Amino acid sequence: MRKRTLKRGLTGFWWFTLAFLYLPLAVVMLFSFNASNSAARFTGFSLRWYERLLGNEEILSAFANSMVLAIVSSVIALGIGCLIGYGMYRHRHRKLGWLIVLIYLPIVLPDIVFGISEMAFFVQIHRLTGLFQPGLGTMIIAHVTFQIPFVALIVYSRFVGLDPTLFEAAKDLYATPAKRVIHFMLPTIKPALISAFFLSFTLSVDDFVISFFTAGPESATLPIYIWGAIKKGVSPEINAIATLMIGAVAIAAIISLMFSRRRQA
Amino acid sequence: MSYAGVTPTARSRAMVRESRHLLFTVAPGATWIIIFLVLPSAYLMGVAFMTNGPYGLPEMPLSLASFERLAGFGFLGWSPGNLYTLLRSLWQTLVSTGLVVIVAYPIAYYISTCREKWRPIMLLLVVVPSWTNQVIRTFGWMNLLAPGTPLSGLAESLGWIAPNMGLYPSNFAVTLGLVYNFLPFMVLPLYAAFEKLDTAQVEAAQDLYASPVRAFWHAVFPQTLPGLLAGIVLVAIPAFGMYVIPELLGGGKGMMLGNLVANQFSGGANWPLGAAGAILMLIATFIGLYAMRRIGKRLGGGEEVVI
Amino acid sequence: MNDTLTLDAAEASRAEAVESTREASSIEMQGLHKRFGRDTVALDGVDLVIEAGEFFTLLGPSGCGKTTLLRILAGLEEADDGRLAIGGRDVTEVPPHKRSVNTVFQSYALFPHLSVRENLAFGLKMRGMSPEEREARVAKIAEFIKLGDLVDRRVDQLSGGQRQRIALARALVNEPDVLLLDEPLSALDAGLRSQLQVELLRVQKRLGMTFVFVTHDQQEAMVMSDRIAVLNGGVIQQVGPPREVYEHPANAFVARFMGHDNLYPISARDGDRLTTALGELTAEAAGEGGLLLIRPETLDLLPGEQAGENQLPATVSERLYRGSHAEYRLEVGETTLQATLNNRGRRLPEVGDRVTVKVAPEDLVTLSE
Repeated sequence: MRKRTLKRGLTGFWWFTLAFLYLPLAVVMLFSFNASNSAARFTGFSLRWYERLLGNEEILSAFANSMVLAIVSSVIALGIGCLIGYGMYRHRHRKLGWLIVLIYLPIVLPDIVFGISEMAFFVQIHRLTGLFQPGLGTMIIAHVTFQIPFVALIVYSRFVGLDPTLFEAAKDLYATPAKRVIHFMLPTIKPALISAFFLSFTLSVDDFVISFFTAGPESATLPIYIWGAIKKGVSPEINAIATLMIGAVAIAAIISLMFSRRRQA
Repeated sequence: MSYAGVTPTARSRAMVRESRHLLFTVAPGATWIIIFLVLPSAYLMGVAFMTNGPYGLPEMPLSLASFERLAGFGFLGWSPGNLYTLLRSLWQTLVSTGLVVIVAYPIAYYISTCREKWRPIMLLLVVVPSWTNQVIRTFGWMNLLAPGTPLSGLAESLGWIAPNMGLYPSNFAVTLGLVYNFLPFMVLPLYAAFEKLDTAQVEAAQDLYASPVRAFWHAVFPQTLPGLLAGIVLVAIPAFGMYVIPELLGGGKGMMLGNLVANQFSGGANWPLGAAGAILMLIATFIGLYAMRRIGKRLGGGEEVVI
Repeated sequence: MNDTLTLDAAEASRAEAVESTREASSIEMQGLHKRFGRDTVALDGVDLVIEAGEFFTLLGPSGCGKTTLLRILAGLEEADDGRLAIGGRDVTEVPPHKRSVNTVFQSYALFPHLSVRENLAFGLKMRGMSPEEREARVAKIAEFIKLGDLVDRRVDQLSGGQRQRIALARALVNEPDVLLLDEPLSALDAGLRSQLQVELLRVQKRLGMTFVFVTHDQQEAMVMSDRIAVLNGGVIQQVGPPREVYEHPANAFVARFMGHDNLYPISARDGDRLTTALGELTAEAAGEGGLLLIRPETLDLLPGEQAGENQLPATVSERLYRGSHAEYRLEVGETTLQATLNNRGRRLPEVGDRVTVKVAPEDLVTLSE
């Protein structure tokens, strides 16, 4: 009897928590369709804020920056991270503690320390040499730095999950080193690569703090634009652009999840 | 039969080949992280020991002035502002971590008692909101807690806040934002612990200790302790360094260490002071990680917690 | 050894049709050494010649070096010292992808990202063969190994036995000079295992290809092999046909590994008269070794106590009934003796019976420690 009460109480608590988790997102999405610009009262359905987005040059350029940043950094991180992941696997019997520390460093470092370190570093180098002008370039560098570990760990865990004799079978079946990469390794880890790419992409689009500190005046991304708009005073357009981002990230994340499922299967 | 006359050529050739391979695969990424993260962090740590120049940039000579500033000693004598910020960071971290535990523990337990095919979907439902940009999530709370919203109205009618003030900006809003932000980080490791729960132990405990409370305390809680500790580290470390949530929900009286540090690199412009604050965060981070490793090892398993 | 295998005429003629045009290759190993780390010696000077077309087995306990030797043949491991020639060509430093040698791995190592058909064609594709020719070769091997519709399945839809046959076909389709098999049957259950033993043997006889087979199972080695090399501690202990290795083991290690328990130190010797803990026995051309080996199946049990040459009084202390035969543990004085007898006649000796053990002088063998 008592057990059932407990279970019922927990079920109630579960739905309450879900409401807590989704309420802020739901409010943003709901008010993006609000006919008036009130943030407190929903007065009717309209798409006017979405229409406004299309005419807003700043938002469009922030969107373009976000996409360029996410795609370029993910591609670079995929290449570099993939190599490290394979190196970690191939040499897993050696003592590679220093490498593990290095790989985990970007993950454990607090965002803010990460961001200001890079900013301070880039500013000083720029003063001394003229290189690393703050802008998309420095942002890409910073994003690649925090994406590398995730790619490396995903690729590494895919390799660890394989039968190690597969590598020998490929050698045994006349595959030269180059052909082993093209016909065996890359196709075998393809699901991991796709999953890693989408994760990197999501991390990049999601990031605010690190982008904020490494950005230049012309390279605002969507989160930076939204931040600025919030600071200036809330405009309902933010609801619309935020709703689009919620949708985009959810789709990318679901794709990543689907591929990681297949990887486990 | 003796092995003395063997030439080591084949062996050493293979070793050279392997080392070259290691270098080729690992060097690009390792170099990247060293140049673009290790060096900048080292530079930042150096900055903390330099003097603040007229334009907020670090200058020689070396000094501990920024640590003194951090402790409240300025040109105008001692002022508690920075110390308040530090204490507020600690307090917010403690309170929000505690609240996250209180919410996450029953949720993780509940998920583990549901039917197996529902569990991944339930976990997904908990995690999905955290995939959205932090700024947007926090903006959602701003909308919910602003003056004139139903929640603020409710708080007003209960007499919790003055009329037309709204629930934000306030320290309460920051706590709420932190709990919201970190809840999934606690649910996941706790769920992993509950899923592995040895039910035989629980049944034996129910047999031996009559009351369910004692059975829980002796049989269930110790088994979930590793997951709980992992969750605490995953929540407390980033909460201590949080920037976005106090900046948006806290207002002037809700500032935390992250804001103090960030401000020194933008408006306030005192790099050495900001760097000193960053060192404090790094120390907190490494203490947390070290504690997790030690406790994790002591609790047996030596199991690595994957973030 | 061929008498254990019955090839009917139809099969023999089909065999000719698919037989490779290549000549089988011999393998010569000279002074192969291999060490792992500082002190683990895997091979300590192996000299061995494997004849062309032979079904040759490397037999030994785990860690004896047999797998290392196989991997050196495949090129997956490089010997620290020594030479290796396949088909008369020195391949000591040739990498695996340039050796006309293929391996059937213990885990089968089928590529999970490829279909069965693509797995079969992998080696041919890597060698640059045209798609049409690959298709034809795959079809031919699929017919030869009788794969049927397995070629159109996905790898994860195959059972253990099916994977084993695909792995075999994937290696054979390349028509290598030598086929290496690394405990290919060890993951299978007993019934399937003996069925595949026969199948493997037939394939080898039909192709006339050189097979090098690694196993730790002496029964399997005896059933399959033309010749066996027994390894221990990285050293070859004995090389010979199964019957020779079983009936005339070169030393105590080989004898024990082949399953012999009846080994007795010879305390005194007077011509053909040997004295052991069992008593005095007469041997015929038993050699000069210091250990006497009595194979359990050469013993005969007579009821009661009967005096006579090579007849010892004994008590049955244990009997394991195995259907076609039974194994007896006999106490002869202070020592024990194992005997295996076919279950013929009405009455089998019971535990506690007094019996007489009889052995023929020509069945006694001596060997060195």
